[in-house]
Amino acid sequence: MSEPAAPVPVLHIEALPRSNEPVHVAVRRMRWFRQALRRYLDRLEGELGCRFEIDDGKVAGIFVRWLRAVEAQKPLDPMARRSFFEFAAGLMLREMTGDMPLRATGPATAADPHGAAAFWPEGYACTMFCIAVTSAAMAQEFDAAPALRPSIRDLRIWWSFRENAAEDPRVSIAFLDLILGRDPDWAMPEVFSHRMARELAAAARAAEIRS
Amino acid sequence: MTILPPFPPDPMPLREALRGLRHVMRRGGESLRDTVPVGSLPEPAQAIAGAVLREVGQIARSVDLVASGLAKRVLGGTAPAAPPLGDGAGGEAAFAAAAYAALRAALRRIGAAETFISEVAARSAYRALGSAGGREAARLGADLTLCLIAARVVREADAAPDARLPGPAIAPVAVFAVVLWMLADRAEHDGEAALDAAIDLSIAIAADIRAAAQAGDAARLTALFAEFADHV
Repeated sequence: MSEPAAPVPVLHIEALPRSNEPVHVAVRRMRWFRQALRRYLDRLEGELGCRFEIDDGKVAGIFVRWLRAVEAQKPLDPMARRSFFEFAAGLMLREMTGDMPLRATGPATAADPHGAAAFWPEGYACTMFCIAVTSAAMAQEFDAAPALRPSIRDLRIWWSFRENAAEDPRVSIAFLDLILGRDPDWAMPEVFSHRMARELAAAARAAEIRS
Repeated sequence: MTILPPFPPDPMPLREALRGLRHVMRRGGESLRDTVPVGSLPEPAQAIAGAVLREVGQIARSVDLVASGLAKRVLGGTAPAAPPLGDGAGGEAAFAAAAYAALRAALRRIGAAETFISEVAARSAYRALGSAGGREAARLGADLTLCLIAARVVREADAAPDARLPGPAIAPVAVFAVVLWMLADRAEHDGEAALDAAIDLSIAIAADIRAAAQAGDAARLTALFAEFADHV
């Protein structure tokens, strides 16, 4: 008999701090970013049964590199905005897995023992944080957010994610797409123009099939 | 009949003198303990040296307590509250007091809490900056940073072994962080979190700040303030 599938995780968007500014603006302020990460982890700690230590210096470095990467690739075309929101979440995850700012002080005793959180608490927490922030921002801007797909429960994906991200953090962007049920760009995951070109090509193919 | 002086006395130099005294006593006690290898001396020299050091330590602590108490009384509260930049007459003292308090917080967070900060030099730097004169905020911040560094508001940095920056980077980064915080958009209740964020951001770009400050490159500093002022 096969083991029961792990439940799809809850995003806990409500754990993010409130702000007078839209989330996509607030997240580009260091103090909101830091507060959001702390509050999000507080929520996850209760759910997973482990504590996380945060390295504030690493968080600052991650924030600066992420900000610069976002500014460097921000598209001028307003039609590309939605795709860029999703891409920006991947950039954030790349910076986090490249210089992990969290340390779980013990095993995630309350988490599903066969799930991603028990296998890699730090990577799971960073991934869920990035998804939560982008979901909150996209809900405000586009009235739609990326849905968590059943693939997020697939431990084989997380095994591969952890192993490959340790060698090349850029692949975190592609793994985030995979986890969210999107077609990942394994060749140049960190280049937004490449992502857009692939999306346009896919849209053209779909149009061709329809006609 | 009491004769009042025509101008009220300026308390800032007195505060500075008391802080200087406190700083010297604290450092003096520590360096003496670090330099005199009491444990390695033979008896009876060890007992004599130990007694002398204890005596010196007690004197240092008494002077430190008196100086600290007086300095606090003269200074009043030291919670950082940023004044508007480029606010001419009357702004000097407010700026110097805010810069002092914020620099203390910055140096503590960097791991160089015992570094001496000159409030008088901060006031001189603010005077040297002149009026805002239509300068953009980022440019004003860059000019102020260079003025503060030139005035040696942060004296030779006294870094703890686990400080987050190497010694020569401490003064320019601390000064940049405080100016960044002053330029940042924030609510009043958010001041402390904003200062911590400005400090951590500045530490993350310490190499850029140090290179620009060393070269006296106002344009590069302006670009850094323009890049980060909205992201504190």
